[in-house]
Amino acid sequence: MVLLLLIHAVTALAVIALRRFVGSWAFLIGALGPLAVLVWAVSQLGDITEGAIYRQTVQWVPSLDLVVDFRVDAYALLFLFVVGVAGTAIFIYAARYFKPGPKVATFAGTMTIFAGAMVGLVSTDHLLGLFLFWELTTITSYLLIGFDDHKPRARTAALHAALVTGAGGLAMLGGLVVLGDAAGSFLVSDIVTNPPAASGAVTLGWLLVLLGAVTKSAQFPFHGWLPGAMAAPTPASAFLHSATMVKAGIFLVGRLAPAAVVSVDWWQGAVLIIGFVTMVVGGWRALRQHDLKLMLAFGTVSQLGLLFLLIGVGIPKLLFGGLALLAAHALFKASLFMFVGTIDHESGTRDLRRLSGLRRSMPLVFWSTVAAVTSMAAVPLTFGFAAKEAAFDGLLDEGVAFVAAAAAASILTVAYAGRFLLGAFGSHHTGHDPAGTDARSPRDALLWAPLALAAAGVVLGVFPGLIRPLIDAATETAGGVRGAGKLVWWPGLVPALAWSLLSLTAGALLVWRPGAVDRATAAVGKLAARLPTADGSFRRSVAGLVSFADRSSSLIQNGSLPAYIAIVLLVAVFLPASAFRDGIPSFELPRVGSELELILGLLIAGSAIALVFIRRRFAAVILLGGVGYGMAGLYAVLGGPDLSLTQLLVETLTIALFAFVLRYLPAGFTRSMTARGLRLGVAALVGAFVFAGGLITAGTQLGPPVSDLYLDQSVPVAGGSNVVNTILVDFRAFDTLGEITVLAVATLGAAALVLPITRSRREEGP
Amino acid sequence: MTQYPSAILARGIVAATGPLLVFSLFLLFAGHNQPGGGFAGGLVAGVTVMLAWSAGGPDTVRRIIPVRSSALLGAGLVIATVTGFWPLLAGLEFLESGYVEISIPLIGDLKLVSALAFDIGVYLVVLGMSLGLVRALGEEHTDNSEVTR
Repeated sequence: MVLLLLIHAVTALAVIALRRFVGSWAFLIGALGPLAVLVWAVSQLGDITEGAIYRQTVQWVPSLDLVVDFRVDAYALLFLFVVGVAGTAIFIYAARYFKPGPKVATFAGTMTIFAGAMVGLVSTDHLLGLFLFWELTTITSYLLIGFDDHKPRARTAALHAALVTGAGGLAMLGGLVVLGDAAGSFLVSDIVTNPPAASGAVTLGWLLVLLGAVTKSAQFPFHGWLPGAMAAPTPASAFLHSATMVKAGIFLVGRLAPAAVVSVDWWQGAVLIIGFVTMVVGGWRALRQHDLKLMLAFGTVSQLGLLFLLIGVGIPKLLFGGLALLAAHALFKASLFMFVGTIDHESGTRDLRRLSGLRRSMPLVFWSTVAAVTSMAAVPLTFGFAAKEAAFDGLLDEGVAFVAAAAAASILTVAYAGRFLLGAFGSHHTGHDPAGTDARSPRDALLWAPLALAAAGVVLGVFPGLIRPLIDAATETAGGVRGAGKLVWWPGLVPALAWSLLSLTAGALLVWRPGAVDRATAAVGKLAARLPTADGSFRRSVAGLVSFADRSSSLIQNGSLPAYIAIVLLVAVFLPASAFRDGIPSFELPRVGSELELILGLLIAGSAIALVFIRRRFAAVILLGGVGYGMAGLYAVLGGPDLSLTQLLVETLTIALFAFVLRYLPAGFTRSMTARGLRLGVAALVGAFVFAGGLITAGTQLGPPVSDLYLDQSVPVAGGSNVVNTILVDFRAFDTLGEITVLAVATLGAAALVLPITRSRREEGP
Repeated sequence: MTQYPSAILARGIVAATGPLLVFSLFLLFAGHNQPGGGFAGGLVAGVTVMLAWSAGGPDTVRRIIPVRSSALLGAGLVIATVTGFWPLLAGLEFLESGYVEISIPLIGDLKLVSALAFDIGVYLVVLGMSLGLVRALGEEHTDNSEVTR
């Protein structure tokens, strides 16, 4: 497993590093990763289907007891198959789809990193590892959507997707931490076997995890980012936004559902409602699109809704149908996305109002697309049909209302599937500026890669027994039982078949009478125009967030230097002063040692007092210097030549700097009495505290003074007799290193702040 | 519209910068055993820079210290950090210091402390700070002095 991840990492980094040289090989090198996953999955298929579990534990930081656990059961293996099959086909397709170049090679590398992240996500057994890979898919998805970075639309869409899924991911991290903490283990397998007992925190944890899954899998009301993500080049849309990444949320709810159902009682209801609403909203929106790719995107939203509820609800029979449908969906949707890319590639448009006559000019593409579309519409003899039958059968057990709701979404699916097929390949359109009549059917990967996936759908539709053992085992390992559902090419005359045929007939009617659909969508569209759309609410909430940030930062960061200093000083007083809330310890007032000390003390005190009453800034600087030089003198008298020297020099430097700055400041201080009063108050408080605090701390010696050690060791250890210096450069050299770093950074910061101001003044000046 | 108060004073200050810089180096090297050290030495050099600036403006400063302040800051930090990591190669602790005593004919015994290199880093950062602040805050000064000339 580690080897698989390494293959992804190495090929991705190699392709990115050699992006100028790999040319058309970029995607073929990248395909090694998914291909290796596929090979590995096939090699493990026998054992894992029989119930074995592949485990690998890698010691990461043994001293911190950090280990990386991998655990692949049949449920995870099914997802690995999806990544491997769809990934291999899409990478080979992409090698033909793009014109080679450095930027495309970077794209290929990013997509390979994504594939690796997806492999890690489904195979790790650690909650935090899961989060790590989860976020890696978010980041790579952001980069892939924003591939056309010169287009504002692509950048906005990439940001939208990253913000929604990123925020969901953060929520999920919070939830995972809460759950892991409550369960006493961060291993996914432990949480599933020993679900945390219900409590307020656990409820919150499940809620947050659900939020993460809902955003990732584009469920209502967060589905807005997925159609926007279609700004990505088609291979990324096919791989990330239909086959794999959007299934991460479904993977998670499916994995944790057995625990969630035990832990909290609202889980099933929440998953059902979210799934149903998403399913209907997505199907409805898909009917109204003119862009083939957007139509597929909304279709994906709809399908994801169905998968979300089937897999996330925690009922074995539904889980079985859901997993079958998931595999079917990966096959037909990835292949349809690729065909849309092929059509776009050959005819130059994806607008079904312009496309015309493709059936005749691209017959092979047409018939292969038919194979995929029929699977999407669940026409008998396709894998989609077999899977949907299994789902309907499970839903029937729960109640007619459930299956009726699913059938409603299915009708919409059939309707947009028909619209897709007629729109792309029909020739009855007489619209303006037709395109595609002279397009040629490609004879390379643009045809074979999606054709392979579509053909797999047909084969599995006729022989569903080929995949049934895997689905069965996956159902069992995800908390269900073996043999929960049936997966057959023809179910016989059962009630579920009636629902399938009903969906097909009603959907076909909608395709037959497009006028009725248009009228209905127009009417509902008028009504829906009043409702907030997902995209609009996202934009509004981002705008609201920005304006909130603006307002709060202008309140906190108001730019008033006196206010900042006052806050810093008051915090510096009140925080340590809270140590004295049990009473102030007694302390002795210092005694005056000599006349010289007295004179210097008077100089300092006199300067300080005069400083308060002075009105002119220049005089204030001089008086401040008096305080400083007085201190330097006091140090010298008390036997600290080093301190004295440093104080003297710092004071000189400060005054000189003041001289430079004074030119920019008003000559006098503020005349407002309230402002002066406030400042006096703060100054008096800080002064009194520092004075008293200094005396108290000097009087309360708890342990032997550290200075003795320094005095003893200075010559033998540090090789110097100036203790102050040996402390600075030897004993406490680490502190000094930090201080000079601060000094350097502060200088650069000050220069960066001051230079633009003086420069702009110079430009405005005469 | 700054006019230098007195040409004699200005010349005198410029003449004094040399000895002052030498004094700052003395403080730096003497610092391990006598009052001084990299911080104090750097401050003396920094004050010298300010004096030179007020006497002759940026050109004089550039003549005395012909490098950018950021180069001094960077060099200082690099030296100090390298002295920190250097002992690790010898299996010692981060920033651990050692010293060797050598005799040089005519001059006498000399004790070389590895911490001196660290102190040189401190010196350079403090000097770089003074230089950087003077150059930033005195920016307008530059322009005026050119106008008055």
